[in-house]
Amino acid sequence: MKLHIIAANDMLISMRDRNATIFMFLLPMVLISVAGLALGGEFEQNIRIDVLVVNLDNREISEEFVEFLEEIDILDVDMESNEFAARDRVKKQEYGILIIIPRDFTESIMKGQDCELMIITDPTEKDQNTVVEQIAEGYASRVSASVVAIKTVAAYGVPVYDEDRISEIVETANQFAEPPPVQVTTENTATTPSKSSPFTQYVPGFAVMFVFFTTIGTGSVSLLKEQESGTLRRLVTAPISKAEILGGKITSTFFRGFVQLTILMIFGHVAFDLYLGSDMVALTLLIATIVLASTGLGLLVAVLVTTREQAESISTMLILTMSAIGGSWWPLFIEPPFMQDLAHVTITAWAMDGFYALLYFDLGLAGILKEVQVLLLMTAIFFGAAIARFRLE
Amino acid sequence: MTDDTIVVVEDLVKRYNGFAAVDGVSFDIKRGEIFGLLGPNGAGKSTIISILCCLLKATSGRVVIDGFDIGRNANNIKKIIGVVPQEISLYHTLTARENLRFYGRIYGLSGKTLKNRIEALLEMVGLTDRADDLLEGYSGGMKRRINIAVALLHNPRILFLDEPSTGVDPQSRKRIYDTIQDLNRQGTTVLLTTHQMEDAEKLCHRIAIVDKGKLIALDTLERLLELVGESDIIQVMAKEIPPASVESIRQIDEVQKVSMDGGIMTIQLVRGRESLAGIVDRLISGGTKVESISIKEPDLETLFLHLTGTKLRR
Repeated sequence: MKLHIIAANDMLISMRDRNATIFMFLLPMVLISVAGLALGGEFEQNIRIDVLVVNLDNREISEEFVEFLEEIDILDVDMESNEFAARDRVKKQEYGILIIIPRDFTESIMKGQDCELMIITDPTEKDQNTVVEQIAEGYASRVSASVVAIKTVAAYGVPVYDEDRISEIVETANQFAEPPPVQVTTENTATTPSKSSPFTQYVPGFAVMFVFFTTIGTGSVSLLKEQESGTLRRLVTAPISKAEILGGKITSTFFRGFVQLTILMIFGHVAFDLYLGSDMVALTLLIATIVLASTGLGLLVAVLVTTREQAESISTMLILTMSAIGGSWWPLFIEPPFMQDLAHVTITAWAMDGFYALLYFDLGLAGILKEVQVLLLMTAIFFGAAIARFRLE
Repeated sequence: MTDDTIVVVEDLVKRYNGFAAVDGVSFDIKRGEIFGLLGPNGAGKSTIISILCCLLKATSGRVVIDGFDIGRNANNIKKIIGVVPQEISLYHTLTARENLRFYGRIYGLSGKTLKNRIEALLEMVGLTDRADDLLEGYSGGMKRRINIAVALLHNPRILFLDEPSTGVDPQSRKRIYDTIQDLNRQGTTVLLTTHQMEDAEKLCHRIAIVDKGKLIALDTLERLLELVGESDIIQVMAKEIPPASVESIRQIDEVQKVSMDGGIMTIQLVRGRESLAGIVDRLISGGTKVESISIKEPDLETLFLHLTGTKLRR
């Protein structure tokens, strides 16, 4: 395989371009700093979500869940004891979201039985609903790990009516689990609540936009540059396959985009104390899928156009449009519902949803699975279409 | 295909949306030969060489290079051919050495073998002292020399050169000729396309003349020139050439062809020097304001005009 030779050469060429390096790193750092410092107050005022909770269970696990919600900065949690009254308040639009914890919530979990958290939402508050749903799903997935552990033990004939015995089983299961699901939940809510700041929006927002200039902008132009300078023709006459040439270009673009996004996130952390979440594997996976999807889009642009000028103008238009509607410049949830729906055809919106899940709500891998799946689907579509259209003649 | 034949092209056709850029071309190239494809721009030379270099797929026909059929063994062919494209196909923000290293690795060279080969080629093209300079600081001729060096990294058995001396100053052109002849002496077969008569006359053992996608003549320079016979070419430059003047020139017995291109009249005739005085008389008496007259011995230009009725550099 000669893919690595193409990739290494491509990276050497891009490293020689000092202006491109400044554009990749320095410019986004300056913009992040200016936007974060100048628009921070406005941003902070906007993020408040009122949540009404009915706890019909009032036992250990449900109370723990309420505490978990109260710890989250952007949520204002109010309690209501009467379920019907609570539903009525949502109908009257006093609250956008109602979470009902069922009567047997704690007992069901302790016995390893299925249980259901009910979320009732006001359809006009779609943005807030998504945020709260993600929080609840993240919590539920951790609790589910305990249920699975108990069910597994029960399946092997161990009696589960003894609560002390159950606690012991769960604790033992947690020791074997990596990462330990229940223990992680408890520690997160108690000691590491998510620390939101204006930079939680602006660092990933601008970083994603500037990564697109690398993966979609420079990425699409790179192939056309080779075509126009004749180096691509020369490569085609050499003993190297079309797949190796394309693979090398893709690898190089992906690598540059990945390094750029990672460095910009680290810059946010070091310079502005940006909280990166507790799950670095999830953050790395999210970064990788964002870069991969946008690299695919860049390749598709390259094969759909015929000149470098066309690639430059189309990719710039794509990047700016995606950044504007997808939530790079302002939080997605301040956009009207139809724009939020529209935004989710873009890579940016899914990328920002993923960053919110990790940086605001610290939901870990479970909280970004949907985003990662959608980004991978986009990757497959973009690469599939680009490879089908790629012609060397 | 005999042992001394390295390239066989049979009834090659390449069509684009019904237009035949190459239309039933057949020829073969002997091992160790410098073979020229001569023709004006748009004649189909670059399309032929692109098919032979595995860049384009032919619509029909057969190409065999060193025993490998191009339709089935393109990858084997790519290992034994060296290609010098018409444009400078190099990375201008890299140094000459970096360019050579990159392409050498693509051809599977590495370590000491690659290092030694790079040094030898830099020496051959006379650019050892500039090897670590970025190519963007090179002159056109220097870039063209590196362009050739890249094609030689893997010691190809056959070298394809597409218009090797286009846009090159006389000094670099001479160096390129010397390089091609040196390589040929070492056993490399060379196929070059050109629309420059000088390239074909100075370098080629055999020349194929191509026009409008068809091969119209193929032989050594000497035998091709015999086709023209004793013909000379007289070129008349004038501000105005009345049609009556042209017609009166055509009436002269020795005149074979008369063509007009703007203010230039090209006359193909036998015994040109003897007829010159009569031609001038007729032009002046016909109202032509003659600015200059030149007479040329038979050459490839004459031959091309003889075969096609048009000029080579049109």
